[in-house]
Amino acid sequence: MSLDFERPAWEHSFKLRCFPSSDGRQKISGEHIKISPVHFSSSERDSFGNMCIYGTAKQVHTHFSVDVGGIAETDIHGVIPAESHKAAIFKYETPLTKAGVNIREFHRSLEPRGWMGEFERAVYVMGMLCDDFSYVSGSTGIATTAEEAFTMRRGVCQDYAQILLALCRLERIPCRYVAGMIPGEGATHAWTEIFDGGTWRGVDPTHNRACDDTYIKISAGRDAGDCAINQGVFYGGGRQTQTVRVVVSEVQPGKNSRP
Amino acid sequence: MKVTEEELCRHSDSVNEQLARYGVKFGIYRNGEFHEQLFPFDVIPRVIGSGEFVYLERGLKQRVAALNAFLRDIYSDRKIIANGVIPEEFVFSGSGYLAQCDGVSPPGGVYSHISGIDLVQGKNGSWYVLEDNLRIPSGASYPMVARELCMRSIPSAFSDNLTEDNRNYPELLRKMMDYVNTGGHSVILTPGRFNAAYFEHSYFAERTGARLVTCEDLTVENDRLYFIDYSGKKEQVGAVYRRISDEYIDPVSFNRESLIGVPHIFDIYRKGNVALINAPGNGAADDKGIYYFVPRMVKYYLGEEAILQNAPTYLPYYEEDMKYVLAKFDSLVIKDVAEAGGYGVVFGSKLSAKEKADFMAMLKAEPRRFIAQEVIDFRDIDIYEGGIRVPRKADLRAFVLTGDEPVVWKSGLTRFSRNPDSFIVNSSQGGGFKDTWVMKD
Repeated sequence: MSLDFERPAWEHSFKLRCFPSSDGRQKISGEHIKISPVHFSSSERDSFGNMCIYGTAKQVHTHFSVDVGGIAETDIHGVIPAESHKAAIFKYETPLTKAGVNIREFHRSLEPRGWMGEFERAVYVMGMLCDDFSYVSGSTGIATTAEEAFTMRRGVCQDYAQILLALCRLERIPCRYVAGMIPGEGATHAWTEIFDGGTWRGVDPTHNRACDDTYIKISAGRDAGDCAINQGVFYGGGRQTQTVRVVVSEVQPGKNSRP
Repeated sequence: MKVTEEELCRHSDSVNEQLARYGVKFGIYRNGEFHEQLFPFDVIPRVIGSGEFVYLERGLKQRVAALNAFLRDIYSDRKIIANGVIPEEFVFSGSGYLAQCDGVSPPGGVYSHISGIDLVQGKNGSWYVLEDNLRIPSGASYPMVARELCMRSIPSAFSDNLTEDNRNYPELLRKMMDYVNTGGHSVILTPGRFNAAYFEHSYFAERTGARLVTCEDLTVENDRLYFIDYSGKKEQVGAVYRRISDEYIDPVSFNRESLIGVPHIFDIYRKGNVALINAPGNGAADDKGIYYFVPRMVKYYLGEEAILQNAPTYLPYYEEDMKYVLAKFDSLVIKDVAEAGGYGVVFGSKLSAKEKADFMAMLKAEPRRFIAQEVIDFRDIDIYEGGIRVPRKADLRAFVLTGDEPVVWKSGLTRFSRNPDSFIVNSSQGGGFKDTWVMKD
């Protein structure tokens, strides 16, 4: 990830959520990170358990870069346990995932499906959403809400994930936003996790499928705002351009090569 | 007592003049403009007898202990939700609950260091809690400075030495800050002179010996907070009495559009390296919807019956309460849980037929957004206006400071409505204030 500033920036404070953590479905090893420039940096886990690297680049700079690398071993049969009273917070809408009139109307138009379990219901809703929504690169921004994207009927993975959250939350199903990576993309990806009988299970509304072992999670939260790769403030700088490049490649078991 | 009051009234103008000269002001924003206005002071004090105060003190300590326990619980195990005492949506869908605070243990285990509990006394003499303020309750400086000026102007009114001295508030504040301080200075963080309570910020700094700082004076380095003095020297800060609301305190953790705030202050607070007074996320416990549940919290956490009562309150969220509210609409006061400062308060009896129908529709559409309360017939207190005494509605904001244990300040801010027909006493709505005298025997 890099930031290029039109004019020099200084006193740049940053908080990065770009460091995958191990959970029941993935094991991270050989991780390394390089931030430049940097005056001090530290790390912590936020309330959702995501690894945050934060710090300050005091010196004047026009380019800020972060390189992260490592190996993820994924296990499709792994479980991510959670207690239901802890997961309850993910039932409630946030400003980015608030259902407005259009999402509510769409939700009402769906067939009654009271006999389904919560996970099946989420998958069903995902299918209906995919029939009615198109992937159009660059059609929305990071601050676009679920309702705004749904009204246009187009967006990117972030919008798919947030609209599915809005719909599932109307069903009172605990669900969370996930930022991560899949092979064959140049950018980060986003999907949704559904709380199902004590575990979190991933579904990818952009591709209308369940997440398999090619999905590497970076962070999870109530919406895209909780998973921002970078949140920062600085003096000077003018217009800034953020570039994110993701490379995911397969490593043969036993070989310790870095992607 | 009568003689004392007459004496006080004779000095009404001179004390108000001194308050103005001292800069005891209150800022309000109207139509996007900042106006600084005097906070009118009425010389006749509210008097609370010692026995009555002992009762209030016990009730307030108990209430604040329960509120602190509630905050600790909902930001960790959430047992009160798991045990079904409070419906989870009243916790999670309120705007005061900050998910970022989950799992944080504040220094000293204190969440609500300074609690402002608003009470009213009914005509029958019983006290009711109307509201808990656990975010940044302001106002303790006003009765304190008024007391000081009255003592100076009218020493004879105090010569019998029967009134508890309320000028120890900064001492209590100092003790509390020292208790939670993680090492280094204590500071008072103000958003600046355009804040409504700037007078109070500077007054407390002066009286506690804490430095008055703005965000630019603070910086985070190597997981510690530092104050940078005029020569560029850095000194560690261990406690921040911040008068900036949660969403603006740290632009890399909360509102990223915030132009104020100290980057990373929240990150190091999470690590226990600085105390924030009061703790971020306290809004989860002073929401008007949560208020309904406070007596249940007392029972749940302390195993005691609540000493102080709430005003009779209904939650339209519960079906039977909704029925009652719609049936008795004219006799109730309805409050929007998201609003503060006397805004969003509707008296059922004062609405026209159309307004009433519109309001009821809104109530049915968003029941969670409102609470309804019986209109309490407050006991009026006299104020001295235009040379005569006239009765007015008044409330009492009691201050409870919590360090190792809750301490109730032996005074309080009595606010009154200057409008004879109004029940709303908030200073942002133009009300005035009185000193509160707690008697020794």
